[in-house]
Amino acid sequence: MLDTMFFYMFALLAVAGAILTITMRSAVHCAISLIASLAGVAGLYLLQKAEFLFAVQLVLYIGGIMVLFLFVIMLVNLDSAAKERQFHRRWAGGAVAAVLAGASALWLLSKGAPSFGSPVAQAAPSPDGNVEQLADLLFRQYLVPFELASLLLLVAIVGSVLMAKKRTS
Amino acid sequence: MPTSFIPTAADLLRLSPDIVLTAGGALMMVIEPLTGAARKARMAAIAVLLIAAAMALSVMAYSDPGTSFSGMLVVDGFSTFFRILVYGCGLLTVLMSVDYFKRERGSESGEYYALIVFSLVGQSLMASANELVLLFIGLEISSIAGYIMAGYLRDDKRNNESALKYFLLGSFATAFMLYGVAWIYGLTGSTNLDTVRRAILGGAMEQSGQMLMIATALMFVGFAFKISAAPFHVWAPDVYQGAPAPVAAFLSAGAKAAAFAMLVRVAASAFFPLSAKWEMLLWATALATMIVGNFAALRQSNIKRMLAYSSVAHAGYILVAVTAHSEVGIAAVMFYLASYVLMTIGVFAVVTLVASKGERFVEIDDFSGLVQRQPMLAIALTIFLFSLIGIPLTGGFFAKFYVFKAALDSNLTWLTILGLLNSAAAAFYYLRVLVVMYMKPAAEGAGPVDPAGIGIKAAIVASAVGTLYLGVYPSAVLDFAGKAAQLVK
Amino acid sequence: MTLFSDRLLDIVLFLPAIGFIIGLLLPRDNNELVRRYTLAFSLLVFIVSLGLIGTVTANPGGSSFVTDEVWIEYPSIRYHVALDGLSLWLVILSTLLTPICVLISWKYIQKRCKEFYAFLLLLECGVIGVFVSLDLFLFYVFWEVSLVPMYFLIGIWGHEKRIYAAVKFFLYTLTGSLLMLAAIIWLYNKSGTFDLLLLTDMIQKGRLALSSGESFWLFLAFFFAFAIKVPLFPLHTWLPDAHGEAPTAGSVMLASVMLKMGTYAIVRVCLPLFPEASREAAPYIITLSIIGIIYGALVAMVQPNMKRLVAYSSVSHLGFVVLGIFTFTQAGIDGAVYQMLNHGVSTGALFILVGYLYERRHSLEIADFGGVSTPAPWLSTIFVITTLASVGLPLLNNFVGEFLVLQAAMQVNILYAVFASLGVILSAVYMLWMVQRTFYGDTPDAVRHHVTDMTGREWAAMIPLLILMVWMGIGTQSFLPPIRANNQKTLEMVQPQAPAVAATASPAETTGEVRHAH
Repeated sequence: MLDTMFFYMFALLAVAGAILTITMRSAVHCAISLIASLAGVAGLYLLQKAEFLFAVQLVLYIGGIMVLFLFVIMLVNLDSAAKERQFHRRWAGGAVAAVLAGASALWLLSKGAPSFGSPVAQAAPSPDGNVEQLADLLFRQYLVPFELASLLLLVAIVGSVLMAKKRTS
Repeated sequence: MPTSFIPTAADLLRLSPDIVLTAGGALMMVIEPLTGAARKARMAAIAVLLIAAAMALSVMAYSDPGTSFSGMLVVDGFSTFFRILVYGCGLLTVLMSVDYFKRERGSESGEYYALIVFSLVGQSLMASANELVLLFIGLEISSIAGYIMAGYLRDDKRNNESALKYFLLGSFATAFMLYGVAWIYGLTGSTNLDTVRRAILGGAMEQSGQMLMIATALMFVGFAFKISAAPFHVWAPDVYQGAPAPVAAFLSAGAKAAAFAMLVRVAASAFFPLSAKWEMLLWATALATMIVGNFAALRQSNIKRMLAYSSVAHAGYILVAVTAHSEVGIAAVMFYLASYVLMTIGVFAVVTLVASKGERFVEIDDFSGLVQRQPMLAIALTIFLFSLIGIPLTGGFFAKFYVFKAALDSNLTWLTILGLLNSAAAAFYYLRVLVVMYMKPAAEGAGPVDPAGIGIKAAIVASAVGTLYLGVYPSAVLDFAGKAAQLVK
Repeated sequence: MTLFSDRLLDIVLFLPAIGFIIGLLLPRDNNELVRRYTLAFSLLVFIVSLGLIGTVTANPGGSSFVTDEVWIEYPSIRYHVALDGLSLWLVILSTLLTPICVLISWKYIQKRCKEFYAFLLLLECGVIGVFVSLDLFLFYVFWEVSLVPMYFLIGIWGHEKRIYAAVKFFLYTLTGSLLMLAAIIWLYNKSGTFDLLLLTDMIQKGRLALSSGESFWLFLAFFFAFAIKVPLFPLHTWLPDAHGEAPTAGSVMLASVMLKMGTYAIVRVCLPLFPEASREAAPYIITLSIIGIIYGALVAMVQPNMKRLVAYSSVSHLGFVVLGIFTFTQAGIDGAVYQMLNHGVSTGALFILVGYLYERRHSLEIADFGGVSTPAPWLSTIFVITTLASVGLPLLNNFVGEFLVLQAAMQVNILYAVFASLGVILSAVYMLWMVQRTFYGDTPDAVRHHVTDMTGREWAAMIPLLILMVWMGIGTQSFLPPIRANNQKTLEMVQPQAPAVAATASPAETTGEVRHAH
């Protein structure tokens, strides 16, 4: 019962935050709404007993990335952007797409659990706890992708440095 | 699951080409600022050595095929073929890029070569991954390096536009793919291709067929974008036109080959049980891609743009072989890509040379009278164009032949006939280049073509020789492809 | 020495390719050297090719100079070449015409000489390859390879609308041949071989059962490719453009050799592989060829341009060839094959003579000429002889072929013969009318000043053809026996299986039998 209540609370936070993110005029407000939305998602992770993801979500997304966003927004003058129209004329198309996506999600939900299949590896909660399990997976089975993700970040950094370097001419 | 954190020697050997390239690329980034401007050309030499080493290692790794890192990576004939193919493509790109940046902005550039090396790591992972997560990471590494390379000349407006478009649309497409991967994980509980296949065979299909189809469709969007299949091809002309010519070559040859490797691997292993359901979709995509590519190419006057549409059309021909979903079809895909890479790199190398500083001469009419101005260059371009048309004694002919043979094997009669008619229509726009090259006098303003550097010369000669070799004696490559295709299961 | 004589056909086939490569290495600016080299080289090829005749005529009806080696292991593609009565004279015609083309281009081609002569040799290699290949894949390769040099010959050295004509020529042929490729692959998937003799054998013995629908579509795919090349009405529209715009040597090779690739291939491939489909399609194809004969003649009549006139006359003459083939009688096919050679000699000669006129007057319009016989009596005489040969005057070459074809048409259906003879009459009308307007009547000043008589080199090019016109007209026996022996074999394959009811056996019955045998 309490779980359900918390679920709806976090879900509301996530959705409302997302809506505010795209409707607010000031960039700072948008960023703060996004933080609220991400926090809602973090709560959902917690409800799913994914403590590690919850922590990562809080520390990295809300703590790190979003604060960086806010810095950038405050440093760069974005006032002119606030005066512009918030939506294109095409918002109707977007709305239709959103409604369709929602409808299909509802349809799948209405068909109940079987339509989602039964995950083959429905691991029982381990006594070691979530974090250990994750570490095991990351450093044993997913060692190569984990390490190569750092290469991905390196390439991205090289790219951003190149883009930001002083122009030659 | 390995009991120890320490990987075994076999594991390391199978990953060794990627390890060498990663370490070498990182090292290049370190030495780059320490190298004087005059000696930047050394970076190209380092890149060539690295890629050659990776090639040698991937051949060595093939002596002991198998999976490594708990089924993450697989070394078999198929992955070895594509590893060598993308490395070869990278090698030729490095060769044709030497002097390009000196010409365009007065100084060679070390990071560029490092980016090529990194991108090759990604492409090699796409070819050898046996895991959707690793596949995705490989795709992203290769793509992000590609975005940066497409906009490498930051002061050039066309470069910027090209990079931005590629980046925005590319991220969108990879997001689709990632979403599809997530669905697959949710439905089958695994991202390992073999496990997914077993799960599908073991009842996931009956239980959640519709969701499985949606998941594969989402992934297909990502694939279709990367191979520039219609209707997800719209980025290709803008990106190839705007990007520096060597980069356009790299993107349309190597990146596309790796994307096809990925598509074929996934379609032939994890989703093989669904192939009957995929057939209609692939059939329509193949046909649409051929038609869109060829008929749009007919109207282009810019040669880079024309080549972009032609590369879309070629993706369509390759999709015909994918649609056949048979071993012969896979072998045909492999052979096609081998000859496609050679002729595409070759043709872009010639375009790079003729375009001159600032890429001023990229209209088809700028090629007029090339045979008088630069006979050897014109002969090389003739070979590549005939190969693109599919005239016998060039690799492109056998490539088309095997593709359509595979399609007929699988009873795709109409697709074959429509595909052949398409390639007849395609001959028209390649002929236009031949016409201006041979039959029109040189234009007034056309200056002499810059003397070619040793690197680009080597790239052109190697591509031309390779194209002719595949056209006269295709057996060696085809035999290997045929054997490798049997291993994809 | 035995090695040399066994491999004579391979040598004749690849010698021009070697000549092409050497030609490319010659210096760019020394035109005289390039001409002399190509003339000497093509004469060498011709002389070597004459060595082929003895062996083939001694073995009529069989294959000589067979070379059958693996080219590609899988799919099994073989380098299988051989020579028989059908291909022998076509190969000789090709090797003969190449040096003649070098001679007639001596002064005509001044720009980019080296490339021109190189392409000429490559073309020779391609057409010989088509005539000698017995592996369908190899055949297709040469078929396409011969397309490329002709495209350049028209596109670079042609007249004003050359590019349009070259591209049209290329695309028409390519479309047809790609469909043929699909059919070739289909056959391979069914049978596991590209070898024409093996395929023929399998089909004849019923080991390869094609359903009648399948056989019909395959026949159509092959026939479409060949009919474009022939060209059969209504697929002929590329021909007048290609001929009208090509340089003289290009026109000669195109008319005399390349068009024959189509008719040759019908006899070589379509008839043995798809006997039933060929028989069923015969009435329609004959109708088209008769339309072609008459249509070609009528359009030729109103052409103001000499080259286009000769081109349309080709459409008409090739109609005879197709008509002869599809009568499925000994006389008809013999006549058709003979007519291929005749057309090669006399139409080739006509194009050469028109080229001579063009070099003098720089015009192809009949209206720009008149009274040429006054300043150039020899040229006129030769032109008249060639014209008479072309319209089928007895004792000259075309008469034999046309006579045989008409005789065969008469056997099959009197109406065919009636309409076809109409074509013969019309051809006399338009050819002689052109001769009259060009060579007789008043001589305008322009003609008087510019038109001179034949030079030594021009004589050298024409004399072999003139000799052949007469020789083939009266010495039929020197040429016809190997052709006849080979056609006999082909006919046996095309005839329905039950010999007793040869002429009337219904196709359905025969297919039934084949299926049972299988």
